[in-house]
Amino acid sequence: MSRARRSLAGIPLRAALPFAAAVGALALLPLVLDPYALNLVTLALVMIAGALAWNWMGGFAGQVSFGHAAMFGIGGFVAARLLLATPLPAPLAWLAGGLAAGIFALGAHPTLRLRGPYFSIATIGLGEAARLVFTYWERFTGGASGLSLPIVAGGKEALYSWALALAAAAVAASWGIRRSRFGLQLLAIKADVEAAADVGVSATLHQDLVFALSGAVVGIAGGLYASYFSFIEPNDLFGFDRSISFVLMCVIGGVGTVLGPVLGAIVFVILHQLLLASYPQLYLGLYGLLLVLIILFEPLGISGLALRVARRLGRGGPPPAPLVTSAAGPASPPGAGGGGRGLAP
Amino acid sequence: MTPLLATRAISRRFGGLWAVDGVDLALGDGEILGVIGPNGAGKTTLFALISGSLAPTSGEVLLEGRRLSGLPAHRVVRAGVVRTHQLVRPFPNLTVAENVAVGAIHGARRAGGGVAERTADALAFAGLADRAGQPPATLTLAGRKRLELARALATAPRVLLLDEVIAGVSPAEAQALAALVRRLRDERGISVVMIEHVMPAVMTLSDRVVVLDHGHKIAEGGPLDVVREPRVIEAYLGKGAAEART
Repeated sequence: MSRARRSLAGIPLRAALPFAAAVGALALLPLVLDPYALNLVTLALVMIAGALAWNWMGGFAGQVSFGHAAMFGIGGFVAARLLLATPLPAPLAWLAGGLAAGIFALGAHPTLRLRGPYFSIATIGLGEAARLVFTYWERFTGGASGLSLPIVAGGKEALYSWALALAAAAVAASWGIRRSRFGLQLLAIKADVEAAADVGVSATLHQDLVFALSGAVVGIAGGLYASYFSFIEPNDLFGFDRSISFVLMCVIGGVGTVLGPVLGAIVFVILHQLLLASYPQLYLGLYGLLLVLIILFEPLGISGLALRVARRLGRGGPPPAPLVTSAAGPASPPGAGGGGRGLAP
Repeated sequence: MTPLLATRAISRRFGGLWAVDGVDLALGDGEILGVIGPNGAGKTTLFALISGSLAPTSGEVLLEGRRLSGLPAHRVVRAGVVRTHQLVRPFPNLTVAENVAVGAIHGARRAGGGVAERTADALAFAGLADRAGQPPATLTLAGRKRLELARALATAPRVLLLDEVIAGVSPAEAQALAALVRRLRDERGISVVMIEHVMPAVMTLSDRVVVLDHGHKIAEGGPLDVVREPRVIEAYLGKGAAEART
């Protein structure tokens, strides 16, 4: 029997080995990279964690959030305040930031009465409200002049290790969720919330849980980001660009897949550096164009392209099958009005 | 004796229209109850009211005397009352087996047994074991109806509300699906309320039949008695036909 059993069972070696090898190789990077490149990889790792966490909500449960900057910012500022006011070790401050962000996400429960584009619009409101509140709450955030953070013990290399740990944990968690009963129910909710309820799935409970979990991990990423830049201000962390960036990373890589957000975050961080340096006025427009092209031609992003290439090479099944499979389903990309097309087999 | 499932004067209004109006229904343990009636009679609305997808305007639903109405749909499933949909609604992003596993998660919680075992059992029961790893899109309509049944069965229901599981497929498939419905009752002890347009199936499967028209229950009884009632003939064929027959 069946796939049901295999897909609910433990981790197969063919997924675990490449993963361990990749983490191992990345752990050695600080030995060979110059500080600039190491900074960039650290940022990419933080964003990988954020994108993966966004994807639990947007990709698995199919609720596309344009407000995740709120959780990112709350995580960042709570961690920053704790680091400034207490002798708490940085990782604990980041965790506390994540906890605060998770609680905030739970508080966003009313938005989950909405689905699809309506939910997305509500999250724009949520994100912008959070940005304004925290921008004007100068006692807490320093307002437009921001906050400077203490240096993390161990310096940039320690930060790099923590970012790698967070990203690796997020990959493992994505993989686990995709294969768990929890994940199965999220995918059912994404496909048809009423049919899911008719076989006993509580959409409310699952969406609350996944939103809180997603928010918490994005919050932890926000805390790491704050320490990484050692200077933060509300308009950056809470900015609408920030919310869009999580969506973009997942769409570029492949919404609803496990590997997609990882690839998307890497591409996004590199692209962002290049575009921001060369076309500071144009980069948002270019992102928009990219989004349109992906949704039109390859709703599964890089993962979809990889699947096509794999199929063309004539191997029966796509080799990274457990990582980029039917999880994607009708990808329902943002802006496509809940449409989306066929299946990744 | 308390019936297993009962509705008491259950009603639902949409604007000025009473889609279901004061319907009393009683389903005995181990019974197959047919629900027939012309299009628009309120049959599917009745199922939505029982299953918690729609809240009744008035009246109540009772399972062994305990009130079900007011509970959200997923809680009604957990109480043991599960519906299938007339227009089949598989989760297209999951394989056939994963579709069934979603139901089995709740079945395992209710009735014990592992999710994997429940899934395999429901797939085998519905004749879908060899399609387990495929996406539902590869199934024929009859196959998707079987999937709908398997997914509902995996939740370990005590009462199944089957909305036209037989209609719309080839005669051979219709017979096979009818046999499945009978086995649900005979082998699994599941009580069934079935909306069906395929009259031979209703006549042979149902212990009793309830006839709805314009939201009202207009007749109830043994399948052969019910179709002879003038009010029933009138509802289907018009007044002239009813008079011609009597």
